Amino acid sequence: MRKSWLFGRVVIVTSIALGLGVQANAEEAGQTPKSIEQRFEELDQEIRILKRKRELEQEAAETAKKARPVVKFSSAGYSSRTGGFSLESADGNHVIRFRGIIQADHRLYFDGANDIRNRNDQRAGDLNADGFHEASDSWYLRRLRPIMEGTLFGKYDFRFRPEFGMGSATVVDAYLDARFSPAFKVRAGKFKSFVGLERLQSASDIKFIERSYVTNTVLPNRDLGIAIHGDVFGDRLNYAFGLVNGVSDGGNISTGPEFNSRKEFTGRLFATPFVNDDSALSGLGIGAAATYTDVSGERNLNFTDTTAADSTRNGLPSYLSEGQNTFFRYSSAAVADGVRIRVSPQAYYFIGSFSILSEYAQVIQDVSLTTGGSPPAGGVGSNTVFTPNSGKTLHHQAWNVTVSYFLTGEQASFRGVKPIESFDFGKGWGAWEVVGRYNELALDADTFKNPAGTAFTGGYADLSASAKRARSWAVGLNWYLNTNVRVALNYLETRFDGGAGIDSTPINAAGTNVQDRPDERAFFTRLQLAF
Amino acid sequence: MTILSKMFIALGAWLIAAHPLVVHAGDITLLNASYDPTRELYQEFNAAFVKYWQKEKGQAVVIKQSHGGSGKQARAVVDGLDADIVTLALAYDVDAIAKARLLPANWQTRLPHNSSPYTSTIVFLVRKGNPKAIRDWDDLVKPGVAIIPANPKTSGAARWAYLSAWGYALKKSDNEEAKAKDFIGKFYANVSVFDTGARGATTTFVERGIGDVLVGWENEAYLALKEFGAGKFEIVTPSISILAEPTVSLVDHVAKRKGTEVVAQAYLQYLYSDEGQELAAKHFYRPRSEAASAKYGSQFAKLNLFTIDEVFGGWQKAHQMHFADGGIFDEIYKLNK
Repeated sequence: MRKSWLFGRVVIVTSIALGLGVQANAEEAGQTPKSIEQRFEELDQEIRILKRKRELEQEAAETAKKARPVVKFSSAGYSSRTGGFSLESADGNHVIRFRGIIQADHRLYFDGANDIRNRNDQRAGDLNADGFHEASDSWYLRRLRPIMEGTLFGKYDFRFRPEFGMGSATVVDAYLDARFSPAFKVRAGKFKSFVGLERLQSASDIKFIERSYVTNTVLPNRDLGIAIHGDVFGDRLNYAFGLVNGVSDGGNISTGPEFNSRKEFTGRLFATPFVNDDSALSGLGIGAAATYTDVSGERNLNFTDTTAADSTRNGLPSYLSEGQNTFFRYSSAAVADGVRIRVSPQAYYFIGSFSILSEYAQVIQDVSLTTGGSPPAGGVGSNTVFTPNSGKTLHHQAWNVTVSYFLTGEQASFRGVKPIESFDFGKGWGAWEVVGRYNELALDADTFKNPAGTAFTGGYADLSASAKRARSWAVGLNWYLNTNVRVALNYLETRFDGGAGIDSTPINAAGTNVQDRPDERAFFTRLQLAF
Repeated sequence: MTILSKMFIALGAWLIAAHPLVVHAGDITLLNASYDPTRELYQEFNAAFVKYWQKEKGQAVVIKQSHGGSGKQARAVVDGLDADIVTLALAYDVDAIAKARLLPANWQTRLPHNSSPYTSTIVFLVRKGNPKAIRDWDDLVKPGVAIIPANPKTSGAARWAYLSAWGYALKKSDNEEAKAKDFIGKFYANVSVFDTGARGATTTFVERGIGDVLVGWENEAYLALKEFGAGKFEIVTPSISILAEPTVSLVDHVAKRKGTEVVAQAYLQYLYSDEGQELAAKHFYRPRSEAASAKYGSQFAKLNLFTIDEVFGGWQKAHQMHFADGGIFDEIYKLNK
């Protein structure tokens, strides 16, 4: 207001001075001098014009300001997907966001082997007398993911998330998500399969440093394809149906084309019936998911002289222990042949500072044995063909129960935590959470027998090398310094059934020389930054 | 491809096709993107249409309005403003939306009178007593006369005003373009403030007290007279002016997506109804219907009107020659600077 007044005064004084100057000039030139009224009128108009021009300039500046993109930073939790650095159009319809997650881990093993028995790896030195390499302590960059994501036209989300952790350079997610309405969205590209509950929880929010057997070993990780999904009945029911290339258990597909044309169907329904209620059950979620594919006769069996990468074409997985060491591998003669079905009932419950999450998964896998291929020393060899009457349907199962409790009183949630107080020396100690988990993976007993079921030799896997069951329990402590920084400490212990033999002798037909693989005891730590 | 895969794809396709029906059932909101001076007209017309539609179809409809310079509004629609309907100052701006394929190129043939339900013209609003004795276009280019039009680069009304002045000069000089250009040069040399829209120019002249004459919409001049009192201003009708034809259209692309095609089309057709025409006349737009013209004809002064097709060969040609970057207006504006 004062500025405006001052501006007006300056304009009046300047204008009067100019006006007098003009009058003097007119008189000098012999023109008829203007009356005082006329001069006053002219000056008044000039002032009004200047004021109006200034007003219009201010309006134009305001308009331009409204149209200017907005640069923001938000410390909202990683899973909120609104955090990080963003550049947003003035109307908010177009946003590009830069986010990231870094997880620096250390794995310390008190006991345990790094792979199945008699698995030679020259880089790890000689096998010990029992045919194992000891699991090695190491630092890891478990996840190193710069994320670029955003929204175009208010409803078309995109996400590009590469991975540079664990010595790799891969694309974790690359997809487009068209949000036509909350009830109807279409996602296409490479994304997390809509199947496992713990898999759908963000990597920054999982209670333990590594996910359970259900998630890591049985249910699919990422896949390429298309899915429709949405929330209906006032967010009480989430549905998702996908058509994807299909990956083996725990698999994370590459971005390239697959080698068979069969697709995998995925479906999931998850209900949170009391989510909108102010009741003790508002944090309850329960659902089920399933996948289905049939690769009968589709498998490329000619492995002769193929590269090492092609050996994964058998379409079968290997399984990792809780301590992330391989404890089960199919034999090199086994191949996926037929139907693969997965079913997974799942539930969680959050109340106050407490949470429980539980999942069960069963994979029903048709397998066959093959003969032929390259000789061990390399060379042309012969074509790989199915061994007649070697087909078998195997049922592998996994389940887990995970509980957590915030000692500092925060509200437990599926999507991260906001500490009541961020960590700051002498002012706040962040959020502290204790966690516990039991989980188990049990393989079909027929996996380790020949197709006729009469001997432990000539089976789909060797029981003296691969364990048939892993039972793990773990406890942990999470310290959330703020919404973006977390320190995690986990102690884990796993016991195995089978998976070892006497010295390095091969398994006998009766399976009487099978022993249990050594227990695994480990201490994992993680420092995580996610925004 | 397995039967299951095919079924999944078929289900997906069906859901995509059915989606707009599911999402928009019972949710009818229209957005009318219009130019500056139509605020009052559409406030009243919208209320009338809502009532009519409720009575005819038993369906509630909410109509939102957005106003701004006509060209600016067209750009906003092209850039994603979810307008079901546009009611703009000139056909050229609707053509720009058609070029962006949001509506068909033949949009002007879909409604009577080239999709122009009412017309207007350009007149002068002067201060009480007409102190500068302004009677016709020639009086506007005299030294010492301060005129207030809006900027033709951004305002539809301003383009009509420019073309009116040019048409007058051309007629007076027996179609000598050089003389018309000279006339237009003098005309814009007398401009003291350039607003971006017609409503802004009215504010400059009426509320800020700047200038001797406002050159703009006839309806806007009458509205100023009505709102600020006949004791302060007078309307001067020139001997000749242009027949301004504001146009309306459905924005097909938006309406289809929102599932509002039927009601939006009905909204536009209602502009031609007896009630629509009466409301247009009430707000000082010249109605098309004979009944409304007969009823309200006396409120509009009689003058010679020429069309843009007759003098300029249509909007595309007029735009290219006068308003496109590097056109005659740019040339004149640079010289006057």
